[in-house]
Amino acid sequence: MTEHDSSTSQNIKYPHWQREFEAAVLEGDPETLRQRVDAAEAALFLRSQALAESAQGHAEQQAISDATRTLRTIQREKLAYPDWNKK
Amino acid sequence: MPKKRVLLVDDNPVVRSLVRHLIELEPDFEISGEAENGRDAVEKAENLKPDLIILDLVMPVMTGLDAAPLLRKLLPDTRIILFTVQEGREVERLAHAAGIHAIVSKNQAVSKLILQARSLLASSPAKIRNAS
Repeated sequence: MTEHDSSTSQNIKYPHWQREFEAAVLEGDPETLRQRVDAAEAALFLRSQALAESAQGHAEQQAISDATRTLRTIQREKLAYPDWNKK
Repeated sequence: MPKKRVLLVDDNPVVRSLVRHLIELEPDFEISGEAENGRDAVEKAENLKPDLIILDLVMPVMTGLDAAPLLRKLLPDTRIILFTVQEGREVERLAHAAGIHAIVSKNQAVSKLILQARSLLASSPAKIRNAS
């Protein structure tokens, strides 16, 4: 995906990962959900790596953190991942 | 000098692939195996006997925090780095209690992970054994 792609959609603020993230959040089929979450997680990781090399993108890094928390909740509640922070 | 053998543990195949690629660009490391969750890591570590384990935190079946004490018991001289997006004091506290030697954020460049790995591997085994 390129920066040019983002200009074609008014709702896509973070073109490197937002579509994948939204697809995971909106996925209703349990069979497909794991793939969607994996794809979103990979896109977030790749974008984090790109942002780590620059001083820009603080707002996007915060958005990535928020998206990651949402994916963790999906993994725990819908994909039965064990809770790492169990008391 | 022989390359340091790394076991890479992450449930996401794309993340594993990228990290593997970046680590194998370094002349002093080789990926000796991959695992997709904590239990898989424990099973593979016994045979692979890696010098370093790069361990994700959130994984299906068994988390990195649950796998770490088993890995330390199995391979007391092997260094373990928790490679995770989770940050904060609670993660640090639990990781330390689990015998993990260092935490590197997935939000940092993988070059930081490699620097941390070299630093840990330069420490003496005795110091590593007592680091929990």
